[in-house]
Amino acid sequence: MDAVETSLALAPPHADPAEARLMSRSIGRRILGQATGSTGFRIGLALVLILALAAALYPELSGIDPVKMDVRARLLPPLFLGDKWSWAHPLGTDQIGRDMLVRSLVGLRTSFLIGVASVALTLLIGCALGTVAGYFGGRTDTVVMRITDAQLSIPMIILAIAVLGVSRPTIPAIILVLGLSNWPVYARVMRSVVMAERGREYVCAAQVSGATHPRIILTLLVPLLLPPLLFTSVLDVARMMIFESTLGFLGLGVQPPTPTFGNIIADGRKYLLNAWWIATMPGLFLCLTLTSINLIGAAFERARNTIHGGA
Amino acid sequence: MDPVLSVRDLSVALTLPGRQRTLLDGIGFDVAPREIVGVVGASGAGKTVLSRAVVNWIEPPLAIRSGSVSFRGRNLLALPPREMRRLRRDIAYVGANPMGALDPTLPVGRQIVEKLRAVMPEVSPKEAQARVVALLDAVRIPSAASRFHDYPSHFSGGMMQRALIVDAMVSNPALLVADNVTQPLDVTVAAQVIRLMRELTERFDTAILFVSSSLPVAREAASRTLVIDAGKLVEEQATEALIAAPRHAYTRALVAQIPVIWGERPTLPAAPKPAAPVPADAIISLRDVSQTYRVKKRGSFAGTSALRAVRNVTFDIVKGDSFAVVGESGCGKSTLMRLLSRLERPSGGSVLCEGRDIAGLSGAELLGFRRKLQLVLQDPFNSLPPRTGIGAMLEAPLRTHGWRDPRKIREKVRAVMDDVGLPVSLYDDLPLGLSAGQRQRVNVARAMVLDPEILLMDETLSALDQTEQFKLLALFDKLQRAHGLTYIYISHDLAMVRKACNRIAVMYLGEVVELADNDRLFFDPGHPYTRALLSAMPSLEARRYRPEDCLMEGEPPSPIDLPIGCAFRSRCPQAFGPCLDRPPLLSVRGARDLASCHLVPGPGATLAGAA
Amino acid sequence: MFVLSFLARRLAQGAVIVFLVSLLIFTLLRVVPGDPVRLMAGGMAPEALIEQIATRMGLRDPIPVQFGRYLGHVVQGDLGQSFVRPANGAATGGANFNDATRGERAEVIRLILDALPMTLQLAALALAFALVFSGLLGIAAGLRPGGIADRVAFAVSSVFISLPNFWLGIVLALLLSVKLGWLPAIGYGGFSYTVLPALVLAVELSPVLIRTLSGAVAAQMSESYVAVGHVRGLSRPRIVAAHALRNASVPLLNLLGVQFSSLLGGVIIVEYIFDYPGLGLLTINAVLQRDFPLIQGIAIVTSAIFVLINILVDLAATTIDPRLAY
Repeated sequence: MDAVETSLALAPPHADPAEARLMSRSIGRRILGQATGSTGFRIGLALVLILALAAALYPELSGIDPVKMDVRARLLPPLFLGDKWSWAHPLGTDQIGRDMLVRSLVGLRTSFLIGVASVALTLLIGCALGTVAGYFGGRTDTVVMRITDAQLSIPMIILAIAVLGVSRPTIPAIILVLGLSNWPVYARVMRSVVMAERGREYVCAAQVSGATHPRIILTLLVPLLLPPLLFTSVLDVARMMIFESTLGFLGLGVQPPTPTFGNIIADGRKYLLNAWWIATMPGLFLCLTLTSINLIGAAFERARNTIHGGA
Repeated sequence: MDPVLSVRDLSVALTLPGRQRTLLDGIGFDVAPREIVGVVGASGAGKTVLSRAVVNWIEPPLAIRSGSVSFRGRNLLALPPREMRRLRRDIAYVGANPMGALDPTLPVGRQIVEKLRAVMPEVSPKEAQARVVALLDAVRIPSAASRFHDYPSHFSGGMMQRALIVDAMVSNPALLVADNVTQPLDVTVAAQVIRLMRELTERFDTAILFVSSSLPVAREAASRTLVIDAGKLVEEQATEALIAAPRHAYTRALVAQIPVIWGERPTLPAAPKPAAPVPADAIISLRDVSQTYRVKKRGSFAGTSALRAVRNVTFDIVKGDSFAVVGESGCGKSTLMRLLSRLERPSGGSVLCEGRDIAGLSGAELLGFRRKLQLVLQDPFNSLPPRTGIGAMLEAPLRTHGWRDPRKIREKVRAVMDDVGLPVSLYDDLPLGLSAGQRQRVNVARAMVLDPEILLMDETLSALDQTEQFKLLALFDKLQRAHGLTYIYISHDLAMVRKACNRIAVMYLGEVVELADNDRLFFDPGHPYTRALLSAMPSLEARRYRPEDCLMEGEPPSPIDLPIGCAFRSRCPQAFGPCLDRPPLLSVRGARDLASCHLVPGPGATLAGAA
Repeated sequence: MFVLSFLARRLAQGAVIVFLVSLLIFTLLRVVPGDPVRLMAGGMAPEALIEQIATRMGLRDPIPVQFGRYLGHVVQGDLGQSFVRPANGAATGGANFNDATRGERAEVIRLILDALPMTLQLAALALAFALVFSGLLGIAAGLRPGGIADRVAFAVSSVFISLPNFWLGIVLALLLSVKLGWLPAIGYGGFSYTVLPALVLAVELSPVLIRTLSGAVAAQMSESYVAVGHVRGLSRPRIVAAHALRNASVPLLNLLGVQFSSLLGGVIIVEYIFDYPGLGLLTINAVLQRDFPLIQGIAIVTSAIFVLINILVDLAATTIDPRLAY
């Protein structure tokens, strides 16, 4: 890297017009540009789109009710395992004859909704507190950082399980618990980038020209620093979806009859020996979803790292 | 005698996908044993690439295009890595980044021993340690035996550079490549390091390739000098001959650009005028201003120590002045800048603007003060917000100050851009394509757009090369005359100050140790520290002060742990009895000049007595 | 001297954290809906009886009073008695709640201390698996960014991070235990019962370790002391082993400290799936039975462990990198 630094120092700044044009784009756009060029991102995006489309349309179009029982169609194996091919239940049925594909897709909806909403909540709390701490420093910083330290040292899983186990888990409660569990990570990252940026001379210049602190934060810092964070929060959507389905698996998530990955797999576990697909197929489905989201997130993260490393 | 190093037809290129640029083009020269050869050139001329090629350290995206680097007749560039590594014993290198050269998590001494045993496995660990301690002592690192166990983060830049010189010399090499070794150091420390290198090469019979971006610095060290411009070797002469009679046009320009310090006719002493305690026309007055930071005490439960960054500073800046605050890193001048611009409030004393304490201002009054005093910052790359158009950047302060009419704003911004010499066509451009000099013009324009009366220049010119500095100083002069501006320069560069300022305050460890008019300061300095600064200043002129007489070894004490008595006494060759226990007061020298030294003769009138 | 003041400061901070955790969990358990007495006494118990029991157990006092009483016992090392578990072992069902058996209920501290060694064994094995695997892959990836190892590391961590542990546990149990019969899966009857749960945990831990390690190694290799080291005459193996890895271990250590709580989350699920008699299983059962004293006890003990682990991690990191000692 040292040689690269030298060569960059040796070259007049942005002698290359194409390079200058590239550098002039916002970091967000550059991350987007670089990430969308990678194969992983494209595969991930394609999969996510297909899954999203399926989750949005298939349950309604097929007309199958995810909670309707049908004792004549109990424990049907998936399409590729049955004696005769039947498209009626491509992923088979469970112990009371409910269609696994529709149940998985409806579970995907819930899981995705909870994942996105809790990440949004996390971002809101974490970035607001992190920005304030990093910008003002001093006592404000100490207080905020103490709170994040304390929160990070509480085993959140125990807290979440305790709260949701003792009370009745509803979707808003789950979103709240998940959202509150992860904000310190964002607060720390935002604090450190704001702190670094705040020491730059242009912030100093804006201050001397009379700009107020909220103005500097909102017009100079947030537009610059938030977008990179938004991209990497994609990874957290996947993490929160796992968290949600874990809770469901323990019986502490969204309650039956609403299907979620967690409660489907928990149900299927009882029939593991004679109908293994009930537990494993929806899980495979969930893995596919998570992998595609993670591919997108990882592409963003890589792009961010290279751009930050090189800029 | 056979040369220890001979470079022939050396070309190096930068290769990136889609483009290639030649950085070194057909360089050839020799270095004889025990000779010190200087290499000078502007930044970007290829000096660093050359010094790396000589130690066989060319990595992608750089690539050798042609030529050879022969050490005692063997071409280094063709050697297999294993053989090259064996030669590291005889070819040593010291770079411009002392703080990044060693693993930060291991003691310095241990790493030097590691290097010694890597290139000379026959040395026993015990012997190696004894040798390193002895050398650390020889480069005048105080209490070397205990510093041996200290970590890199406990070393100052100057101390680290000494340790790295030990690291280079410990295997008794035949050739040392010194790439800009003094660049990150303060002038007084740099002068000591150069002196040290000269001594060591005599003791160890080592030849040095001394690369520097400054001709005066190279002159201190080298007997023969090569001049490089845009990757080509343009001139090679004995150093003194090169300065006296440069042959190539580039060298002539280089020599001509070195600022002249003492060449002009002095106009001192000024006629005695009655010194008023507060001049009636003072626009900024500092009264006993102090700033103390609380820093965490190392290894304590909850203790803090006081870092006294600025101590009891008192001076007045008169309308129309070009006032300079000079000093080396850590002297408190940046803190003073933050106090003057009210980015911070002082912990003691007051900063007055036209008689009003600026600490108490808020709301509209604060905006009023902001309009009056504007700041121009140091770093041309960090001081402009990324990805904001130049016009928008200049409009922002106006909007902050309540301008609403877009047409008027645009007109004003165009007028200011014109004033500072920025083409109005850059209005919608981003600052990315601009040179450092143009960026600094944008900086000046951003300050000027509010029609201030005072411009505070924080190292504004230090990132620019000589040519750009000349142009901007001319611009400042023009603006001062057109708008009746007052300038406050915060700088470490005495040569620039000599050219631009009429009144100068010298700071050391948070205090103003001398305050004088320009000529008086340069021709008749009242404080030993000022003399030390002047002696260490690289210059092509005959020296008025020799570093050997003016400066003791060592570095400034820590502002957390201030010495009792005079703060400068640990480095002052003239320190005597009273300096040990009594801090000197600023004493009046003549009409309006002050210095805080027990040696200043005078009626004993002090400022404290006068105020 | 430095170590002592550091320990004193960190233990004081740790005590505050443990206090906050106990306050938080205590309050939450009492403000969220769900009455433990109802569960203990059974659905058929008359309202008056429930009130009577609750009052005698102090559950109707104001929360600060309850908390003060609880804390008074905690500082004496008494975490209270389980609501539902008898001292002799098997959990009592809610329906046969009988006041006379109150005296024989299990001590919370006993229950936790019995389960803790099992969990520590599991966590240690999982950590060993994860560190060996991620260490090899992560270092290889970091030494040659963009190389084969780097791409393998990226793919492996992308897949591993997308495997929900409860699903992976089921699938591995089905494959390795039921179909192939290589490893025992359910319950605990010897060390071999730890292997399968530890594998699942290791898969969960690896992605972050791999990415942190490869990132840290790559960052160190681009530090200037590495390039200068070559010029100073140090060999590459020496630079990598003695300097780059040494420096790269600091972020890894810090990560391990932070990852503790996610490790704990994994432990809970994995123990539940494999019916492994550790702290995780105890937690789940305590929650499902609304066994307040046990939940509180577990929260306090785990946060104390967390505090201790982080102190150890910081001490280790400071030993490696003395700049952190401020």
